[in-house]
Amino acid sequence: MDPQDDWTGNNEERLDALFAAYRNACPDPEPTPGFMPQLWQKIEARERSSTVLVRLARNLVTAALALSGIMALAVSVSHSHANSLPPESYIEVLAEDHARQDLGYFEPVQVEPAADQR
Amino acid sequence: MLVDFELVKRARDGEGAAFNQLVAAYRKRILGTIGRLIGHPEDVEDVGQEVFLRLYFSLDQLRSAEVFEPWLYRLTANAAYDYLRKRRRRMESRMADLSEQQVVLADALASGKVDRDEGQRKWIRDTVDSLLAGVSDEDRVLLMLKEVEGLSLKELGKIYHVNENALKVRLFRARQRVLKSFKASRKPVAGLKGSR
Repeated sequence: MDPQDDWTGNNEERLDALFAAYRNACPDPEPTPGFMPQLWQKIEARERSSTVLVRLARNLVTAALALSGIMALAVSVSHSHANSLPPESYIEVLAEDHARQDLGYFEPVQVEPAADQR
Repeated sequence: MLVDFELVKRARDGEGAAFNQLVAAYRKRILGTIGRLIGHPEDVEDVGQEVFLRLYFSLDQLRSAEVFEPWLYRLTANAAYDYLRKRRRRMESRMADLSEQQVVLADALASGKVDRDEGQRKWIRDTVDSLLAGVSDEDRVLLMLKEVEGLSLKELGKIYHVNENALKVRLFRARQRVLKSFKASRKPVAGLKGSR
């Protein structure tokens, strides 16, 4: 039956008829012979690109681990080097030295009494 | 369900032949649905391959047999939506070409160069396409699944993982918008009647 024959009722009915006509105007198509080969080509291409990404991510993780290992080694070396130094910090040593110099500076001046005052 | 879950399991375990059987069982139905969802027969196979490509890479997430079909429909709806969204972006630049195509089609119809039935089918597709231009791509896909594919609210609920009442409201609003456009543009319908 021609769907347009149904388009005589109210707009709701006409819209339903139009949708039904649309269903008939777009039947299930037969897939072309190339459908499956093309699909597998796409699957393989996606797998290849995801393999490249996985490999890249793995390399990045390895590089990051190596870098963090090197940094940990560097930190532990500098830490052990710091432990071999005297316990005072540079500031403490400087302050101590400065205090010694200050004492010298403020040492009371010995003034000899004048001869007429004797 | 068109296949038993054993086949799905074998495809999930990487058996190529099982995946081929799975695609062969569903492709005609899925291509038909895609054709009606997107309204552009020339792009149906591409979108269909995208659906099965997504299926292939997500099969390992499937846990039970009863969710297979809703899940395949979900992949189909998503692929159709992605296609429509991309197409909408290209639409504006092609508007002039489209109207030119319609004039060419009308001329061809008038001169009898195009098969009258094919011309009528194209006219129906274009009419529905233009009516649906007023709703969002998500609503278009939802409305098509309900009105054209004939899926029930329960089935749609399984596909979208949404409450049936929420779907009902959304469908009602989308349909009202389409109905408004339908009332406003009776010209294509009149043209269709005239073309018989």
